[in-house]
Amino acid sequence: MSSCRQVGRPLAQRLLRQDAAPLRPFTTSSPASAQVYKVVRERPEGEVDPVELDPNTAVHPWAEKDLWKAGTPPIGSRRRRYAIRTSQNIPFEQLPYQAFQEARKLLAEDREEKIAAIKAEVEKMRKIREADASLFKGGEKKREMKLQSLRQHIEWLKIQADINDPCIKRRFEDGLGDMNKPIYRYLAQRRWEAYERKIIEQRISQFHITPDILPTFSPQYDVQLFFRRAKVPAGKLLPSDITEVPPRLRIQPFDAGDRLVTIVILDPDVPNVAADGFTKRCHYLAANIPLSPTNPALALSRLPDADHVAVPYLPAFAQKGSPYHRLAIFVLDQPDGRPLDVAKLRSLYAANKTPEHNFSLKSLRDKFGLRPAGFTLFRAAWDETTADVMRRAGVPGADVELRPTRVRSLKPPKPLRGWEAKRQGPKYRHLWKYTKRIRGLSNAKGWIIKKRGDGGGRRG
Amino acid sequence: MPFHFSLGGLLARPAVTAPFTGTTTTASLRALFPNILRPFSTTPASQKRKKKGKEGPGHEFRHRVAKLRGNLHGYAPPPLRMARNRWLRHWTIHRAWQLHQRRVRESLERERMRMHQGMHSACEELRVTEGPGLKGEGYLYRVALEKKGLYGLNAVPIEYARLQTETPARIAWDHDWKR
Repeated sequence: MSSCRQVGRPLAQRLLRQDAAPLRPFTTSSPASAQVYKVVRERPEGEVDPVELDPNTAVHPWAEKDLWKAGTPPIGSRRRRYAIRTSQNIPFEQLPYQAFQEARKLLAEDREEKIAAIKAEVEKMRKIREADASLFKGGEKKREMKLQSLRQHIEWLKIQADINDPCIKRRFEDGLGDMNKPIYRYLAQRRWEAYERKIIEQRISQFHITPDILPTFSPQYDVQLFFRRAKVPAGKLLPSDITEVPPRLRIQPFDAGDRLVTIVILDPDVPNVAADGFTKRCHYLAANIPLSPTNPALALSRLPDADHVAVPYLPAFAQKGSPYHRLAIFVLDQPDGRPLDVAKLRSLYAANKTPEHNFSLKSLRDKFGLRPAGFTLFRAAWDETTADVMRRAGVPGADVELRPTRVRSLKPPKPLRGWEAKRQGPKYRHLWKYTKRIRGLSNAKGWIIKKRGDGGGRRG
Repeated sequence: MPFHFSLGGLLARPAVTAPFTGTTTTASLRALFPNILRPFSTTPASQKRKKKGKEGPGHEFRHRVAKLRGNLHGYAPPPLRMARNRWLRHWTIHRAWQLHQRRVRESLERERMRMHQGMHSACEELRVTEGPGLKGEGYLYRVALEKKGLYGLNAVPIEYARLQTETPARIAWDHDWKR
């Protein structure tokens, strides 16, 4: 009770007593409750004030019990709830802390400066655009360069004008940022580059995506992968029944504007027994998918087949005995938002599912002038559900087990060495009970029986 | 590097606990516990022979040095723990302080650059000026940049090569100072 009393006297109440008029009190029900607060254990008679039963402001035990029963439990501690009840609802920016207010003043002044600078730059751009190209030393090209650099500077100023705002920081941290605004895109990009981009780059290098699939690649978009509502970290080894349905992607570009993208899922580890090697296979190919920073979500199963999908989703599978398969998901930017001819893609790639057909992402990129921009991957290996998945997908080869051919050493066998090995002959008959342990041949338990691939055991 | 810093250990502390002499507190304690608080020897402290080896260099700072060494390799202090609003206020103030520092620094730089450019343009003006009288172009510049009286016996004292400031004082601590 005493702690509640302590809370009931917030700083704001004392400092703002002079200009209390503009501030609307949170509640009209209990005046001066800070002074008269008592724990009421019994439910009062008659009508109950709705403030008592609000999960943010309920403090009495009976009210808390009611809220728990109703399925809307009280939020935070009782101390916090009481503080909310008794404090005036001052917005964060108006909290009466002197250093904070001075800092806000300074930052607002700086923001005004930045906005004035933006206006000046825009005016400068207008003048340059209206001036005759012959006035410039390098002609039209030089003028375009000037305009471009001014545009970049304005973008920088836009970010700098907002970067010191605590409300913007809070909104971004809460995930409420409007991706149409440059400041939120900038913050999101900075956050992505701080960690997730590094992870993706590490996956690209450690799984040898470069140079196995593309000669060079640096991701520009944040791509997240979801299978059946669960987020999948890049490179995770997934069971086959999980990856049977097409995944959901969340592709976050950090530059403004709408664009069209192509999405490719390919498996670069298809064993080709005939050629004694590996080939690549396209598991999914869809083009002309609209994308913008504000709507990053994309469910591959929801895409209309006729307009976008050139190669429908083939579930990821790995035959028994083959090493794990990398399933690389690439997002390729279509230049200038130019749509691709899906029918042509279909004719090129739809039928090529056998290992003899080697799908090449590099070739696709060069044929259609695409720019690889986003990447993520998962892995597949043989497990107990793979056979069913392959059967349902109509893929042959579930009954085949791939086995590596044993390559025997061409070196001659080494003669046995060691003190014991030297004393095996009849001359050392008196030592035989001490010369049982020969390296590679026997040990204290007896002869080492080496297993052979053909199943028969052999001594020594 | 931040480290734990406690002032208590740094205050000058006598290296050896003084023997109980006749102060009021010890007197009253002695009245209560005569057996415990009686000094071991009855010889006056000043007549006692000093022990060898205790009076090494840095002896009087022994505790201070020990404390410093201990703190030097101590744990880092815990990070600041703040709730969200308080953290945001802290961040805002921090950003504003950084902005202020940058402004001050840049204005200083601008001022210095302006002064330097002023000197430069003055010299340039002297360099292209003819005269006085029959002197040719650049005479004034050469004269202005002569380093007469800077070196040798009759030179400007070297103390004037730096800006004259109030601190550090010529006498570090004036012991005779009275209000």
